[in-house]
Amino acid sequence: MSEIIDRPRYACALGGALFTLRALPRTAPIIHASAGCGYSLYGALSAGAGYLGGGYCGGAAWSSTNVVEREIVFGGEERLEEQIRATIELMDADLYVVVTGCMVEMIGDDAAAAAAVFRDAEAPVLAIPTPSFKGDSYAGYDMALSGLFRGFTRLGAEKRKDTVNLLGLVPGQDAFYKGNLTELKRLLEQLGLRVNTFFGEGETLDNLRNASEASLNLVLSDRYGIKAAQVFEEIHGVPYRVLPFPIGAAQTADFLRAAAEAAGVGTAAASALIYREEDRYYDYLERIADIYNDIDLQRYAIVAGDVNYAPSVSRFISDELGWIPKLTVITDQLNAEETAKVQSRFSGWESGVYPLIKFDPDTSAVQRYFPLAWPQSANERYYDSFSPAVVIGSALERDFALQYSLPLLTVSFPVTNRIVLNQSYAGYNGGLSLASDLITLLMSWR
Amino acid sequence: MGKPLKQIAIYGKGGIGKSTTTSNLSAALSLMGFKVMQFGCDPKSDSTNTLRDGSYIPTVLDTLREKSGLDAHDVIHRGFNGVYCVEAGGPAPGVGCAGRGIITAVELFRHQRIFEELDLDYVIYDVLGDVVCGGFAVPIREGIAKHVFTVSSADFMSVYAANNLFRGILKYSRSGGALLGGVIANSVSGGYSKEIISDFTNRTKTRIVEYAPRSITVTQCELRGKTVVEGAPESEQAQIYMSLAEKIAAHEVSEIPAPLGVTELREWASGWSEKLLQRVEGNVSPGEAI
Ligand SMILES: Nc1ncnc2c1ncn2[C@@H]1O[C@H](COP(=O)(O)OP(=O)(O)O)[C@@H](O)[C@H]1O
Ligand SMILES: [Mg+2]
Repeated sequence: MSEIIDRPRYACALGGALFTLRALPRTAPIIHASAGCGYSLYGALSAGAGYLGGGYCGGAAWSSTNVVEREIVFGGEERLEEQIRATIELMDADLYVVVTGCMVEMIGDDAAAAAAVFRDAEAPVLAIPTPSFKGDSYAGYDMALSGLFRGFTRLGAEKRKDTVNLLGLVPGQDAFYKGNLTELKRLLEQLGLRVNTFFGEGETLDNLRNASEASLNLVLSDRYGIKAAQVFEEIHGVPYRVLPFPIGAAQTADFLRAAAEAAGVGTAAASALIYREEDRYYDYLERIADIYNDIDLQRYAIVAGDVNYAPSVSRFISDELGWIPKLTVITDQLNAEETAKVQSRFSGWESGVYPLIKFDPDTSAVQRYFPLAWPQSANERYYDSFSPAVVIGSALERDFALQYSLPLLTVSFPVTNRIVLNQSYAGYNGGLSLASDLITLLMSWR
Repeated sequence: MGKPLKQIAIYGKGGIGKSTTTSNLSAALSLMGFKVMQFGCDPKSDSTNTLRDGSYIPTVLDTLREKSGLDAHDVIHRGFNGVYCVEAGGPAPGVGCAGRGIITAVELFRHQRIFEELDLDYVIYDVLGDVVCGGFAVPIREGIAKHVFTVSSADFMSVYAANNLFRGILKYSRSGGALLGGVIANSVSGGYSKEIISDFTNRTKTRIVEYAPRSITVTQCELRGKTVVEGAPESEQAQIYMSLAEKIAAHEVSEIPAPLGVTELREWASGWSEKLLQRVEGNVSPGEAI
C-alpha cells in the first residue's frame, strides 16, 4: 500500500500541465477530463501561486470536455473532437493543447487522433497525455514541456552557438517564476547570450517554436525540467546541463561562471559581469548592516520547501546573511538518485554552517523533526531557547510558526498569504528581495 | 411475491459455450415453471439469440447511447417460453470501457427494481469470462449474484480462465461477494478430458455440476436459432440441460474455491501434457506403425 502524504504541496500532473500552459503566451488548453478537474485545479494552484489567476483563456474559462459516464463507457474521442472544434471557434489562440485527466487515459481515449483531425487548422492543435496517476504537478510540467518540444518546437533548426533555453522553474508551483525567469534572463543576456525562457516577460510562442536553435539547455533544478531536457536532447540534439537555482550573490556568481563555461562564452565575460553586479548588489545590501548589528538580527532559521527553494534559501541564510540554518525539510517525493543530488547541494558553502537536512513530503514533518534540530534537553543554558528564529517555507508552515511564535516568510508553494506580481527571489535582485523581505518581517514582528 | 430471487452468474473463456449453456439452462428452468431472465454481459451481445430464433435485440448500452434517460422495460425482450432477455452490450471494439458498460447496465436494472417488479425466480448473468478488469467482476461482487458457475472444457486456456475466476471469487468472498456453485464441463466427451477437468476441480476444492458432451444437435439447433431444449426436446443433449436445470434449481450452498497459484497452475498443466504424451507414445506400438 502507498503511504499517505499529510497536506501535499502540489496538485496532480494535469494541474502542473495546465499551469505550464497558462504561463505560455496566447495558448489555449483544452481539458479532456471529468467536470471539476479544471476548476478545482485552478482554485488550488492559483491561490497557492500567490493568486496567479487564470490568464489568457485560463482558469474559470478553461475549455473542458467535462466527460460523464456516457463518454467513459463509449469512449470520449468524439466529445473531444467537438470540444476542440468549439474552442477553436470561440477562443482566439495561437496554440491549442489538449491535456488529459486520469479517467480518459484509463479507458484509452486517443486524444492525439482527435487533435490530428485539426491538423489543417490555422493554429496548431496538440494533444499531450497528462494523467495524474503518472505524477504530481512538477511531473505535469515535464509532461507538458516534453509534449511541446516534441510537437510544437521546430524540427531541424540550424543551431546558434549563442542561444540557450532555461528550464526547471515550474510556473505556479514557483509562485515567483516570472520574476525569477526575467532576472535570470537579464543576467544571461549580459553574457552575450540569447535566452528562451518561454514563460518570462516579453516572450512569445516564437521563443518556444525556435527553441531548437539553442546549443544548450540549462536546467535550474535537480528534479524539474530534467525529463523535458532529455526529450529535447533526443529530438533536437541539444545537450543540457543541470545547475542549482541561484539566490543571492554567492550562488549567482557560481551560476554565471558555470553557465558561461557550459555555453562556451568564456569566464572573463562572467567575471566582469559578476564584478558589476556585485558592486550594485552590495551597495544595496550594506544598508542593512547597521540595523543588523544594532538590534542583533542574527537568527536561527528553519526552511521548508521544494528542491529548488529549500537548498538555495538555506545557503542564502547561511552564506549571505550569516544566520544559522538549523533544519531544512525538502518536501518533494524523490528517488534515491535525486535525493543524493539534492543532498550534495549542502556542501561547499562559504560559511561551513549547515542545517539538519530531512527529506519528507509531509507537512507535519517540520514539526516532527524540529526536536531533532533543537533538542530541548541538550543541557542548554535556557531550556526553551529557540529564539530568535525565523521560518522560511510555505503557508502550510503557519501552524508550526504560530506554535513557537516565530515569524514566517512564504516563498515555496503554497504561497496563499501573499499577492505575487513581478517579484523574484532568483539572482542578484532576488537575493536583495529575500534579504529585505526577511529583515522587514523581523522588524515588523518586534 | 416474496419468494427469494436466485441470481446466478455464468462465467468462462470466450467461445467455450457459456451462451449455449446459459440459454439452454434458461429455457429448461422456464419449462420447469420458473420466471427467468437471462442477462447477457458480453459486448458481443449474442447471449440470448437462441432464445429468440436467432435474432439480435437492442442492447442497454446502445439504447443509452442514443438517449440519456432509459426505461429498462424498453430493453427487455421476451424469448422462448416467456424468458426475459436482456443484452448489456458494449462500446465499439477498441474504445471506451466495456467493464464500465456492464456496471452501468446492471446498476440501471437494480435502480429501477425490475427484478422485483417482474417477480422473477432466476436472473442468470452470462458474463464474458476472462475477468479482464473490475467491471466484469460486478455480477460476482456486491452480492448481485449469489452463485457462480463456470463453463469449462479440458482445454488449458479454458481452465486458466476458470482458475482466474476462482481467484476473483476468493477475493470478493470476504466482502459478501458471490460464491462458487461449481463447474459445468462442456464439450468434455470422456477419456482423458474428463480426467483433466475432474483433477482440476479436485485440486481447487470444487465440483462438476454436469458434463455436457460436444454434440451435433447443438450445432443443428443453433443454425435454426434455437436452444436444444426448444429445438430438439427429445434429444439426449436436451435431457442433459434439463438435468442441469434441476440440479441448479436444487442448488443451495455455494463455496469458496481454492484457486491454484500461477506457477502451480503451470506445473499442473505441464504435468498433464507429459502424461498425455506418454499415453500417446505408449499407444503406438512399433508393430502398428504404418
Ligand atoms: N456442447 C456443445 N456441442 C457442440 N457445440 C457447442 C457446444 N457448446 C458450444 N458449442 C458451440 O460453440 C460455439 C461457441 O459457443 P457460445 O455459447 O457462443 O460460447 P461463449 O458464449 O462462451 O462465447 C457456438 O457455435 C456453439 O454452438
Ligand atoms: Mg457468449
